[in-house]
Amino acid sequence: MNTSNSLPPTIGERARKFIKRHDVRMSFLYSTLITALFVFLGLWFYPKFMPEVMSEQMQNGKEVIVYFTVISAPVAGLVLGIALYTFLNRHKGDTPPPDGPAIRTNNPVVLVWTVVSSLFCLIAISWGLVEMNVASSEAAEREPNAIVVEVTGSQWVWNFNYPDYGISSDKLNLPIDRPVVFRITSVDVNHSFWPVQLGVKVDANRHAVTTVRTTPNVLGGIDIRCAELCGLYHAYMESEGEIMTASNFNSWVTAEGGHTA
Amino acid sequence: MTTFANKTSKSNVPEKSLITKLNMGTGLIAGIIFSESMYWLSKSWFDMNEAREINKILTLSMIAWCIGFLIGIGAFIGPFRWLIGKDLTDEEQLYMAGSGQGISRYFKYCTDHKVVGIQYLVGVMTMLGAGGTMAMMIRTNLIKPGSKFVTPEIYNSLVGLHGITMIVALIVVATGPFGNFILPIMIGARDMAFPRLNALSWWLLFTAIVTLCSTWFFGGIPTGWTAYAPLSVQAGPGMNAFIITIIIFAISSAIAGANITATVVSMRAKGMTLNRIPIFVIGSTISVALAIPAFPTFMASQIMAAFDRTIGTGFYDANVGGSGWLYAHLFWIMGHPEVYVILLPGVAALMEITPVFVRKPLFSINAAIIGFAGIAGLSILVWAHHMYASGWSPSLNGPFMVTTEMISIPTGLIFLVILGTLWRGTPWLKMPMLCVYAFLWNMMIGGVTGIYLSDVPVDDYLHGSMFVTAHFHYTLMGAALTGAVGGLAFWFPKMTGRMLHERASYISFWFTQIGFNVIFLGMFAAGSQGQPRRVADYEQAFATSDLISTIGAYLTGFGMLVLLWAVIHSWRKGKIAPMNPWGSKSLEWTVPNPIPLENFHELPVVTSDAYGYGRSN
Repeated sequence: MNTSNSLPPTIGERARKFIKRHDVRMSFLYSTLITALFVFLGLWFYPKFMPEVMSEQMQNGKEVIVYFTVISAPVAGLVLGIALYTFLNRHKGDTPPPDGPAIRTNNPVVLVWTVVSSLFCLIAISWGLVEMNVASSEAAEREPNAIVVEVTGSQWVWNFNYPDYGISSDKLNLPIDRPVVFRITSVDVNHSFWPVQLGVKVDANRHAVTTVRTTPNVLGGIDIRCAELCGLYHAYMESEGEIMTASNFNSWVTAEGGHTA
Repeated sequence: MTTFANKTSKSNVPEKSLITKLNMGTGLIAGIIFSESMYWLSKSWFDMNEAREINKILTLSMIAWCIGFLIGIGAFIGPFRWLIGKDLTDEEQLYMAGSGQGISRYFKYCTDHKVVGIQYLVGVMTMLGAGGTMAMMIRTNLIKPGSKFVTPEIYNSLVGLHGITMIVALIVVATGPFGNFILPIMIGARDMAFPRLNALSWWLLFTAIVTLCSTWFFGGIPTGWTAYAPLSVQAGPGMNAFIITIIIFAISSAIAGANITATVVSMRAKGMTLNRIPIFVIGSTISVALAIPAFPTFMASQIMAAFDRTIGTGFYDANVGGSGWLYAHLFWIMGHPEVYVILLPGVAALMEITPVFVRKPLFSINAAIIGFAGIAGLSILVWAHHMYASGWSPSLNGPFMVTTEMISIPTGLIFLVILGTLWRGTPWLKMPMLCVYAFLWNMMIGGVTGIYLSDVPVDDYLHGSMFVTAHFHYTLMGAALTGAVGGLAFWFPKMTGRMLHERASYISFWFTQIGFNVIFLGMFAAGSQGQPRRVADYEQAFATSDLISTIGAYLTGFGMLVLLWAVIHSWRKGKIAPMNPWGSKSLEWTVPNPIPLENFHELPVVTSDAYGYGRSN
């Protein structure tokens, strides 16, 4: 022991000693590996399983899931990494293990933990609020040339009424790149209108009209499902639809007996 | 038991008292007589051919069943004596506490908190078994698209009954058995503050469970456990059973909650100051205190539903100016606090376990208390996040998103407390400790997916999908139930006097936990792909994800059966447990096995908290 040890160690010395500890290094290693696993899940799992993105809302939702997973990966990694190290460092035998260090608390750690988790929370909140705000203001801007679709849920079918064109159909066909306003209601119990690939959803309530807006921006088929248990054949309350070019849409409307004004 | 013991105990029996003649059997008989007579009586009042009249008949019969059962088992003997200006004699009170009776006291209106705890334990395990069997049937029906294992009608009923059975079971899974059996000993009390109310809370729950079972004979509950209003008003006669069950259960949990709270506030041993209360006691108290304001709204919602169904009011009927949104609000004002009512005692049990098996003090008990209190406080401000997509007020989605995501901060503190306790420790990986690790993994996944769902743009996509189902199973089953299983393994030696079969519990643990993760990772995938919840059938696109889930479900089911075997086997002929097998410093381990009637010969005096483990560096 040299004489410098008689002085209390500086923060730098304590930090250097801390990161040289075996348990700290191993915990860090495991944390990194688990973080990588969660980042991989975020970048691969959700994008792989979520359906095709056909509107901005769907794009937003998908992005939030991916980014939130990546952001939360280090937190999950830290917790599970430390837990994994202690798990592997277990006590073997049939008697209780020897006593560990009597650490009652560590105020700086509690403080840092609270502040950091609050920051993460703040990021999540601001992200969501900004996205909601953008979505609603964009929807408001595009209102003028919007196409209105009156959606009616009944046990157990969807009906789509296009008041501008004077047609009504069990298929939800929409022109691409044109904003659409869904006005949703129900004639019996609650349903939930879910055009899956458009990433929006709102309940259908009797004697009430709920509204949701979106703009389909990719051509292709869409699935419409009911996301609220509505009785016996809830599972079969499905419809199909298609996002088509403006000219195809017009010819569909004509074929259905409507007028394209 | 020797003849001598029999004789001495006989001498305590109040000879002519009615109490000695009443038990579960007389309760059942009285309940059946009451409900049958009410049935025949009301049939002459109301017309059997109209749905609304049938609802009246069934509702009245079920209420009569509950009252009849409670009269038959002797729940009202005490209050009746008060009415005529008397009370039970000392001998009768001793008899009511189960003194000198063997197994039979478990079938009586018994005021001993240990008996009530065991009654709760068996009741909860029965409910979990029934709910688990229903889960297996649900998953079997979903094994492939177009499988016709059950009809859609039965499937919907299974979904609803699985849900409500599991929710009721999980609400009492930790506070019932451990909160009644262990908690009073933990704080050094001879019994609960209100022993008769304690018995009442259990037997009310029993009548509620029987009522819930009767729903099968009346066509089931086709609405899911949420019983959303226009659908529930439209539903068949089975719905009456659901309504009555919830009303009775709300009374039962209010009584239990008041009782536990009063016990913790007023019955603590000398020297057990607020900062020396064990964390399980704090967690349970916060949980039941949270239930006290939460459940009345659920009860109110069901009373209104009963009025809509029987006498034709229109609380939820949009035709006459009511609104389904009213139901949704009342339901979720209960519904969100309720998930924390479920979660907190389980977590608290794990926090109680960790220091014992790591031999370190609980890290920052203040952070744990702030975490629990923060969760409880915020949880009453977040209910409408279940209604983002309901359209009732899109402009309020923002504020509810803020409060919801703020819950991640106190939840983070809970992780910190467990993690800080593990830090630099060498854990003794017995069954209770394994549950702590399973909790960390499951709650991490449940928590992070909860943050996605609290984000409105994501919820617009995922709401009502299998993703939500997977998320809340991770928190309720993966975290809360795992916590309760840990608590069972931990306190089993004290509750039964025998050790839990070790090898069987390990086998059960790994099957259950691995199976559990397989089920719900499959379900996360199905939900991300766009499969709605509560569907009896689905498209080919979801086939792989659902098949994986079903395989996982069978693994979990097997694991749970092994646990059931382990519990029954160990209870009957397991290894005799020493007084303190884990070397814990908490008060419940200072009483001998079997625990004497009033727990302590001499009331303990507490001089420190229960976490004095560890060497000073």
